[in-house]
Amino acid sequence: MIDKLYKTFVDATHNVFKLMLNISDISDHPADDFKSDETVDIAIGIVGDLKGEVIYRFPVSTSLNMVNIMSGMQFEEVDVFVTSAISEIANIISGNVLTALSEDMKCDILPPEQYKRGEEDKDYEIKTSSCISTTIGEICLEIGLNRAS
Amino acid sequence: MLWKDEYELGVPVIDAQHKELFRRVESFLQVLRSKDRWEDKIPQINETLEFMKRYVVEHFRDEEEYQKSINYPGYKYHKQIHDDMVQYVQEVSKQYEQSSDNEDLMQQFGGRLLAWLINHVAAEDQLIADYAKKKGMSGNDR
Ligand SMILES: [Fe+2]
Ligand SMILES: [Fe+2]
Repeated sequence: MIDKLYKTFVDATHNVFKLMLNISDISDHPADDFKSDETVDIAIGIVGDLKGEVIYRFPVSTSLNMVNIMSGMQFEEVDVFVTSAISEIANIISGNVLTALSEDMKCDILPPEQYKRGEEDKDYEIKTSSCISTTIGEICLEIGLNRAS
Repeated sequence: MLWKDEYELGVPVIDAQHKELFRRVESFLQVLRSKDRWEDKIPQINETLEFMKRYVVEHFRDEEEYQKSINYPGYKYHKQIHDDMVQYVQEVSKQYEQSSDNEDLMQQFGGRLLAWLINHVAAEDQLIADYAKKKGMSGNDR
Protein backbone atom coordinates (compact mmCIF):
# COMPACT_ATOMS: atom_id res chain seq x y z
CA MET A 1 0.00 0.00 0.00
CA ILE A 2 2.68 2.50 1.02
CA ASP A 3 4.83 1.47 -1.93
CA LYS A 4 1.99 1.97 -4.36
CA LEU A 5 1.10 5.35 -2.90
CA TYR A 6 4.70 6.43 -3.00
CA LYS A 7 5.13 5.35 -6.59
CA THR A 8 1.90 7.02 -7.70
CA PHE A 9 3.04 10.34 -6.23
CA VAL A 10 6.44 10.12 -7.90
CA ASP A 11 4.84 9.22 -11.24
CA ALA A 12 2.30 12.04 -11.01
CA THR A 13 5.04 14.56 -10.22
CA HIS A 14 7.02 13.24 -13.14
CA ASN A 15 4.06 13.66 -15.50
CA VAL A 16 3.22 17.16 -14.37
CA PHE A 17 6.84 18.27 -14.71
CA LYS A 18 7.00 16.81 -18.17
CA LEU A 19 3.75 18.30 -19.43
CA MET A 20 3.87 21.67 -17.72
CA LEU A 21 7.57 22.44 -17.55
CA ASN A 22 8.99 20.21 -20.26
CA ILE A 23 11.34 18.53 -17.79
CA SER A 24 11.70 14.79 -18.02
CA ASP A 25 14.96 14.19 -16.21
CA ILE A 26 13.59 13.19 -12.81
CA SER A 27 14.69 10.75 -10.13
CA ASP A 28 13.56 10.00 -6.60
CA HIS A 29 15.52 9.22 -3.47
CA PRO A 30 14.84 8.97 0.28
CA ALA A 31 13.98 12.22 2.03
CA ASP A 32 16.67 11.80 4.71
CA ASP A 33 19.20 13.84 2.83
CA PHE A 34 16.81 16.64 1.92
CA LYS A 35 18.44 19.86 3.00
CA SER A 36 16.93 23.20 2.26
CA ASP A 37 16.73 26.17 4.57
CA GLU A 38 13.95 27.98 2.86
CA THR A 39 11.04 26.15 1.37
CA VAL A 40 7.54 26.93 0.21
CA ASP A 41 5.49 24.31 2.06
CA ILE A 42 2.06 23.49 0.68
CA ALA A 43 -0.31 21.12 2.46
CA ILE A 44 -3.08 19.29 0.65
CA GLY A 45 -5.64 17.68 2.93
CA ILE A 46 -7.06 14.30 1.95
CA VAL A 47 -10.46 13.01 3.01
CA GLY A 48 -12.35 9.81 2.25
CA ASP A 49 -11.15 6.20 2.53
CA LEU A 50 -7.84 7.71 3.59
CA LYS A 51 -7.58 10.77 5.78
CA GLY A 52 -4.57 12.97 6.30
CA GLU A 53 -2.36 15.26 4.33
CA VAL A 54 0.43 15.51 1.86
CA ILE A 55 2.97 18.24 2.35
CA TYR A 56 4.90 19.42 -0.66
CA ARG A 57 8.14 21.18 0.16
CA PHE A 58 9.48 23.27 -2.68
CA PRO A 59 12.82 24.99 -2.04
CA VAL A 60 12.70 28.67 -2.96
CA SER A 61 14.98 28.18 -5.98
CA THR A 62 12.86 25.30 -7.29
CA SER A 63 9.71 27.40 -6.88
CA LEU A 64 11.16 30.35 -8.74
CA ASN A 65 12.47 28.13 -11.54
CA MET A 66 9.07 26.53 -11.97
CA VAL A 67 7.25 29.85 -12.20
CA ASN A 68 9.90 31.31 -14.51
CA ILE A 69 9.47 28.41 -16.92
CA MET A 70 5.67 28.58 -16.83
CA SER A 71 5.43 32.33 -17.26
CA GLY A 72 8.47 33.02 -19.40
CA MET A 73 9.07 35.89 -16.99
CA GLN A 74 11.72 36.51 -14.37
CA PHE A 75 10.61 36.09 -10.76
CA GLU A 76 13.14 37.11 -8.11
CA GLU A 77 11.37 36.28 -4.88
CA VAL A 78 8.57 34.16 -3.52
CA ASP A 79 5.46 36.31 -3.29
CA VAL A 80 1.71 35.75 -3.36
CA PHE A 81 1.77 35.02 -7.09
CA VAL A 82 4.53 32.41 -6.83
CA THR A 83 2.97 30.73 -3.80
CA SER A 84 -0.37 30.56 -5.57
CA ALA A 85 1.11 29.05 -8.75
CA ILE A 86 3.06 26.48 -6.73
CA SER A 87 -0.05 25.65 -4.69
CA GLU A 88 -1.97 24.98 -7.88
CA ILE A 89 0.76 22.60 -9.03
CA ALA A 90 0.59 20.72 -5.72
CA ASN A 91 -3.17 20.62 -6.23
CA ILE A 92 -2.80 19.24 -9.77
CA ILE A 93 -0.31 16.54 -8.74
CA SER A 94 -2.53 15.45 -5.84
CA GLY A 95 -5.61 15.37 -8.06
CA ASN A 96 -3.81 13.19 -10.58
CA VAL A 97 -2.70 10.82 -7.82
CA LEU A 98 -6.24 10.34 -6.56
CA THR A 99 -7.54 9.80 -10.09
CA ALA A 100 -4.85 7.15 -10.63
CA LEU A 101 -5.80 5.44 -7.36
CA SER A 102 -9.56 5.80 -7.77
CA GLU A 103 -10.09 2.10 -8.43
CA ASP A 104 -8.54 1.21 -5.09
CA MET A 105 -9.97 4.00 -2.97
CA LYS A 106 -12.34 6.92 -2.92
CA CYS A 107 -10.74 10.12 -1.71
CA ASP A 108 -11.08 13.84 -2.24
CA ILE A 109 -8.58 16.61 -1.84
CA LEU A 110 -9.02 19.87 0.05
CA PRO A 111 -7.83 23.22 -1.31
CA PRO A 112 -4.09 23.81 -0.88
CA GLU A 113 -2.93 25.67 2.18
CA GLN A 114 0.37 27.14 3.10
CA TYR A 115 1.81 24.82 5.73
CA LYS A 116 3.31 26.13 8.91
CA ARG A 117 5.44 23.61 10.71
CA GLY A 118 3.94 22.90 14.14
CA GLU A 119 5.70 21.53 17.17
CA GLU A 120 3.87 18.25 17.40
CA ASP A 121 4.39 15.61 14.76
CA LYS A 122 1.02 14.09 13.98
CA ASP A 123 0.85 10.33 14.19
CA TYR A 124 -0.14 8.52 11.02
CA GLU A 125 -0.66 4.86 10.20
CA ILE A 126 0.77 5.39 6.74
CA LYS A 127 3.77 7.62 6.75
CA THR A 128 6.29 8.03 4.02
CA SER A 129 8.37 10.71 2.43
CA SER A 130 10.33 11.11 -0.72
CA CYS A 131 12.54 13.56 -2.50
CA ILE A 132 12.36 14.12 -6.19
CA SER A 133 15.35 15.56 -8.00
CA THR A 134 14.88 17.46 -11.20
CA THR A 135 17.10 19.63 -13.36
CA ILE A 136 15.54 22.73 -11.75
CA GLY A 137 15.92 21.56 -8.17
CA GLU A 138 14.45 19.24 -5.58
CA ILE A 139 10.97 18.70 -4.23
CA CYS A 140 10.17 16.82 -1.07
CA LEU A 141 6.89 15.08 -0.34
CA GLU A 142 5.70 14.09 3.11
CA ILE A 143 2.71 11.78 3.09
CA GLY A 144 0.77 11.11 6.29
CA LEU A 145 -2.50 9.17 6.14
CA ASN A 146 -4.86 7.15 8.29
CA ARG A 147 -7.39 4.63 7.08
CA ALA A 148 -10.92 5.85 7.76
CA SER A 149 -12.48 3.62 10.40
CA MET B 1 5.53 33.46 -25.52
CA LEU B 2 3.18 31.57 -23.27
CA TRP B 3 1.58 29.59 -26.08
CA LYS B 4 3.36 26.52 -27.44
CA ASP B 5 2.51 24.83 -30.73
CA GLU B 6 2.53 21.41 -29.07
CA TYR B 7 -0.71 22.46 -27.30
CA GLU B 8 -2.56 22.37 -30.62
CA LEU B 9 -5.40 19.87 -30.75
CA GLY B 10 -5.97 19.96 -34.48
CA VAL B 11 -9.45 21.41 -34.05
CA PRO B 12 -9.21 24.88 -35.62
CA VAL B 13 -11.94 26.63 -33.59
CA ILE B 14 -10.63 25.32 -30.26
CA ASP B 15 -7.00 26.00 -31.14
CA ALA B 16 -7.81 29.58 -32.09
CA GLN B 17 -9.61 30.08 -28.77
CA HIS B 18 -6.73 28.56 -26.82
CA LYS B 19 -4.28 30.87 -28.55
CA GLU B 20 -6.43 33.87 -27.73
CA LEU B 21 -6.72 32.75 -24.10
CA PHE B 22 -2.98 32.35 -23.78
CA ARG B 23 -2.39 35.72 -25.45
CA ARG B 24 -4.78 37.44 -23.04
CA VAL B 25 -3.38 35.71 -19.98
CA GLU B 26 0.11 36.67 -21.08
CA SER B 27 -0.73 40.35 -21.38
CA PHE B 28 -2.65 40.16 -18.09
CA LEU B 29 0.51 38.80 -16.42
CA GLN B 30 2.64 41.52 -17.96
CA VAL B 31 0.43 44.21 -16.50
CA LEU B 32 0.07 42.38 -13.20
CA ARG B 33 3.84 41.98 -12.80
CA SER B 34 4.97 45.35 -14.13
CA LYS B 35 6.60 47.74 -11.68
CA ASP B 36 3.95 50.43 -12.18
CA ARG B 37 1.82 51.61 -9.29
CA TRP B 38 -1.19 49.39 -8.66
CA GLU B 39 -3.64 52.28 -9.18
CA ASP B 40 -2.26 52.77 -12.66
CA LYS B 41 -2.72 49.12 -13.52
CA ILE B 42 -6.33 48.86 -12.37
CA PRO B 43 -7.99 49.88 -15.68
CA GLN B 44 -6.11 47.22 -17.64
CA ILE B 45 -6.65 44.62 -14.93
CA ASN B 46 -10.37 45.37 -15.00
CA GLU B 47 -10.52 45.05 -18.74
CA THR B 48 -8.78 41.67 -18.80
CA LEU B 49 -10.88 40.34 -15.98
CA GLU B 50 -14.07 41.30 -17.80
CA PHE B 51 -12.76 39.69 -20.97
CA MET B 52 -11.77 36.49 -19.16
CA LYS B 53 -15.15 36.15 -17.54
CA ARG B 54 -16.86 36.21 -20.92
CA TYR B 55 -14.28 34.39 -22.99
CA VAL B 56 -13.66 31.50 -20.63
CA VAL B 57 -17.38 30.72 -20.57
CA GLU B 58 -17.61 30.98 -24.35
CA HIS B 59 -14.59 28.77 -24.91
CA PHE B 60 -15.69 26.13 -22.42
CA ARG B 61 -19.11 25.99 -24.06
CA ASP B 62 -17.65 25.54 -27.55
CA GLU B 63 -15.19 22.93 -26.34
CA GLU B 64 -17.95 21.01 -24.57
CA GLU B 65 -20.06 21.13 -27.76
CA TYR B 66 -17.15 19.66 -29.67
CA GLN B 67 -16.76 16.90 -27.07
CA LYS B 68 -20.42 16.03 -27.43
CA SER B 69 -20.15 15.98 -31.22
CA ILE B 70 -17.50 13.25 -31.06
CA ASN B 71 -19.11 11.42 -28.12
CA TYR B 72 -16.13 12.06 -25.93
CA PRO B 73 -16.43 9.68 -22.94
CA GLY B 74 -14.75 12.10 -20.49
CA TYR B 75 -17.33 14.81 -21.16
CA LYS B 76 -18.92 14.88 -17.72
CA TYR B 77 -15.62 14.87 -15.87
CA HIS B 78 -14.23 17.57 -18.13
CA LYS B 79 -17.33 19.75 -17.79
CA GLN B 80 -16.98 19.57 -14.02
CA ILE B 81 -13.46 20.96 -14.25
CA HIS B 82 -14.72 23.79 -16.50
CA ASP B 83 -17.60 24.56 -14.14
CA ASP B 84 -15.26 24.69 -11.14
CA MET B 85 -12.99 27.14 -12.95
CA VAL B 86 -15.89 29.38 -14.00
CA GLN B 87 -17.04 29.42 -10.40
CA TYR B 88 -13.56 30.36 -9.22
CA VAL B 89 -13.25 33.20 -11.76
CA GLN B 90 -16.66 34.52 -10.73
CA GLU B 91 -15.81 34.35 -7.03
CA VAL B 92 -12.57 36.22 -7.53
CA SER B 93 -14.15 38.95 -9.63
CA LYS B 94 -16.92 39.37 -7.08
CA GLN B 95 -14.36 39.80 -4.31
CA TYR B 96 -12.39 42.12 -6.53
CA GLU B 97 -15.42 44.31 -7.24
CA GLN B 98 -15.69 44.92 -3.53
CA SER B 99 -12.09 46.03 -3.21
CA SER B 100 -10.11 46.79 -6.33
CA ASP B 101 -7.16 47.93 -4.20
CA ASN B 102 -6.74 44.30 -3.22
CA GLU B 103 -3.57 43.61 -5.17
CA ASP B 104 -2.84 40.34 -3.37
CA LEU B 105 -6.14 38.91 -4.54
CA MET B 106 -5.18 39.56 -8.18
CA GLN B 107 -1.62 38.27 -7.71
CA GLN B 108 -3.06 35.10 -6.22
CA PHE B 109 -5.52 34.81 -9.09
CA GLY B 110 -2.75 35.32 -11.66
CA GLY B 111 -0.54 32.59 -10.22
CA ARG B 112 -3.30 30.05 -10.07
CA LEU B 113 -4.67 30.96 -13.49
CA LEU B 114 -1.24 30.51 -15.09
CA ALA B 115 -0.66 27.04 -13.64
CA TRP B 116 -4.26 25.99 -14.20
CA LEU B 117 -4.38 27.05 -17.83
CA ILE B 118 -1.10 25.38 -18.78
CA ASN B 119 -2.06 22.11 -17.12
CA HIS B 120 -5.60 22.14 -18.46
CA VAL B 121 -4.63 22.76 -22.06
CA ALA B 122 -1.44 20.65 -22.00
CA ALA B 123 -3.04 17.69 -20.21
CA GLU B 124 -6.86 17.60 -19.98
CA ASP B 125 -7.68 19.16 -23.36
CA GLN B 126 -5.12 16.96 -25.10
CA LEU B 127 -7.11 13.90 -24.05
CA ILE B 128 -9.97 15.12 -26.26
CA ALA B 129 -7.63 15.24 -29.26
CA ASP B 130 -6.19 11.83 -28.38
CA TYR B 131 -9.69 10.37 -28.39
CA ALA B 132 -10.66 12.06 -31.67
CA LYS B 133 -7.50 10.75 -33.27
CA LYS B 134 -8.10 7.23 -32.04
CA LYS B 135 -11.57 7.37 -33.56
CA GLY B 136 -10.16 8.78 -36.78
CA MET B 137 -12.12 12.00 -36.38
CA SER B 138 -9.50 14.71 -36.95
CA GLY B 139 -7.26 15.83 -34.14
CA ASN B 140 -3.57 16.35 -34.48
CA ASP B 141 -0.82 13.85 -35.12
CA ARG B 142 1.21 14.15 -32.01
FE1 LIG C 1 -9.79 24.32 -23.50
FE1 LIG D 1 -11.12 22.12 -21.44
